[in-house]
Amino acid sequence: MAGTGRAPLRDDPNVLVTVTDLEVEFPVGKGAVVHAVSGISFDVAEGETLGIVGESGCGKSTVAKSIIRLNSIKSGSVDYQGHDLAQLEGEALRKIRPDLQMIFQDPISSLNPRRKIRDVISEGLAVWGDEQGSWSQDRIEELMLAVGIDPKFGDRRPHQFSGGQCQRIGIARALALDPKVMICDEPVSALDVSVQAQVLNLLEDMKQRYGLTLLFISHDLSVVKNVSDRIIVMYLGKACEIGNADELYENPRHPYTRALLASIPEPAPTVDPSDGDIEGELPSPINPPAGCRFNTRCRHATDICYREEPVMQQVGDQDHYFACHHPVEVAVGL
Amino acid sequence: MAEPQLTVRDLTVRFPTTRGVVQALNGVNIELEKGQMLGIVGESGSGKSVTAKTLMNLLPRSAEVEGEVIFEGNDVRKLAAEGREHFWGVEMTMVFQDPMTSLNPVKKCGEQIAETLRYHLGRSKKEALEEAVDLLGQVGLPDPAKRVDQYPHELSGGLRQRVVIAMALACQPSLLIADEPTTAVDVTVQRNLLNLLDRLREERGMSMILITHDLGVARGRCDDVAVMYAGRIVERSDTETLFSDSRHPYTDALLRSIPRIEQPSHTRLEPIPGRPPELINPPEQCAYAPRCRFAQADCLEAIPESQGVKGMHEFACFHPANTDRGREALAANVAAGETAAGLPITGYAGGAA
Ligand SMILES: Nc1ncnc2c1ncn2[C@@H]1O[C@H](COP(=O)(O)OP(=O)(O)OP(=O)(O)O)[C@@H](O)[C@H]1O
Ligand code: SF4
Ligand SMILES: [Mg+2]
Repeated sequence: MAGTGRAPLRDDPNVLVTVTDLEVEFPVGKGAVVHAVSGISFDVAEGETLGIVGESGCGKSTVAKSIIRLNSIKSGSVDYQGHDLAQLEGEALRKIRPDLQMIFQDPISSLNPRRKIRDVISEGLAVWGDEQGSWSQDRIEELMLAVGIDPKFGDRRPHQFSGGQCQRIGIARALALDPKVMICDEPVSALDVSVQAQVLNLLEDMKQRYGLTLLFISHDLSVVKNVSDRIIVMYLGKACEIGNADELYENPRHPYTRALLASIPEPAPTVDPSDGDIEGELPSPINPPAGCRFNTRCRHATDICYREEPVMQQVGDQDHYFACHHPVEVAVGL
Repeated sequence: MAEPQLTVRDLTVRFPTTRGVVQALNGVNIELEKGQMLGIVGESGSGKSVTAKTLMNLLPRSAEVEGEVIFEGNDVRKLAAEGREHFWGVEMTMVFQDPMTSLNPVKKCGEQIAETLRYHLGRSKKEALEEAVDLLGQVGLPDPAKRVDQYPHELSGGLRQRVVIAMALACQPSLLIADEPTTAVDVTVQRNLLNLLDRLREERGMSMILITHDLGVARGRCDDVAVMYAGRIVERSDTETLFSDSRHPYTDALLRSIPRIEQPSHTRLEPIPGRPPELINPPEQCAYAPRCRFAQADCLEAIPESQGVKGMHEFACFHPANTDRGREALAANVAAGETAAGLPITGYAGGAA
């Protein structure tokens, strides 16, 4: 199988979700398929925040949606507390679904415009049943207070709130089901900078208060670093580099991670500006390059990069893994 | 000193709507020297695009405009009244966030650029097409001779934006206004586009106004930066000073609220409480007062005038950050536990809440 390797998987009893060799393809007609996610393995420990960062089309959202079965999976497994979510069906899936909740980028359009926000927040309970026994008006009010929306506005509808407030309502709706895992897909990308920080702090507070495990997807490298314990950098359906957030940004090894860190408007001090000089266009995911998928744009590419797909390997004994034939050497710290 | 290339004086724009009159711009002043790159930053609705559209004569007819826009000695609003269509698109051009605002989906890229040249500069069909190829090469489109015959949908977002830039540059403008030109593209593409704009500006001695909500982009690329809030420029200075020694509490708070790449993960952010004000019937007070940690009684009684050194570092605030007056105001609010506008500030000013 064309996996980039399972090295980053941890043998740790606290691991809550393990994704192994995940592959997702979407047919696009005439027999062609988009290779959206092509063999990714990672895990998330309880209480941890895992960030997924990468440019548009790299497969971030597909990974997230695969976990909660919003798209079909070609192969691979998603283990959650001993269940393979990729295989579960019917009642068994229904029982587990509330444990994994998702919040989306576009806060306003992800809320039903015709419902009062009180009902928006409790709508998951209506769909997924009330097995947690948490359904009550008190609970809704508590959640509204927790996310910073005055309960007296419970009868208003989503369009009467700003984008930031709608995102808070979305968070309350997700929390209503007492989830264990919250998947946040670009939750602050549509918000103004001054409001982004409010929502990021709120997510952090909710994580502490309700003991959540977070998957946080963003294209913004600074935001991802701020919220995450660990980070995966994705490119064209593959993971390039995985590791502890601070370590990864301090000693980025994969040329693509370095390109990203050098391309942001205020480049990271740990990379050279020339690391941002990547050539050409993103290849089509319908026909991704053989070997390393980054080979068409990488300054370090040699023959082997066109022939063999690099496999995830660990940096010493650190929580840091990369998939590259020519990792950039960095002075070993301190 | 020579006259600035562009002078905007007391620009006011109002939009009558069914909900009331939206006061989109409330006395905007801008001076731009030839060859300079001015950044305009601010949140959604602060008036960045309305400013650009006023300069470009793109406001809807319903807009009520007051004030002066003087460009290279011409009163731009008079030119508009006289129907001078070869001013916009020639002297002054604009690039929008979405390249499809400027591109026709059913026309080949080369033809679209050629049309601009034929319409404004009266080039022949053949000349215009040759120039189009040349322009596409200048904006770094690989294989320009082939690209002229492609349709916009055959190109990636980044390449489409390059075509738009080529079109905007076709008639050798002396001022290019770019409204969030890289907001819809990825960081690696953004870097390339901004590098391209930098290079072209230098080669052509062109001036540029770069509108962005991304402080990092403004910091990395602009000579001067103006910060807009609720239809006013609340602070303006050279970029270095603005980011290292800001005066307006809003600028100061914005800089604190964004996560920075060099901070360790889980650094607690300092958000700006509340949200931008309504622009319908705004009260006679500092528009930022309800969210400002420095606000005192006087902030609620009048709109602060611009102060500081004209043309150098200007800001509109009664109790500016990083000054003694500001520090006193902040200390008084921390002691009182709230600002004059009733904003609680305990545990906020210190950072870790
Ligand atoms: N045609 C119009 N009719 C009514 N109101 C308008 C019109 N155009 C703009 N406005 C209002 O003018 C104000 C300033 O808008 P503007 O588009 O300049 O903001 P901006 O700073 O460009 O924001 P963004 O970052 O979202 O692009 C907003 O309140 C906006 O809703
Ligand atoms: S100190 Fe007063 S004048 Fe200055 S920004 Fe705050 S509220 Fe406005
Ligand atoms: Mg705008």
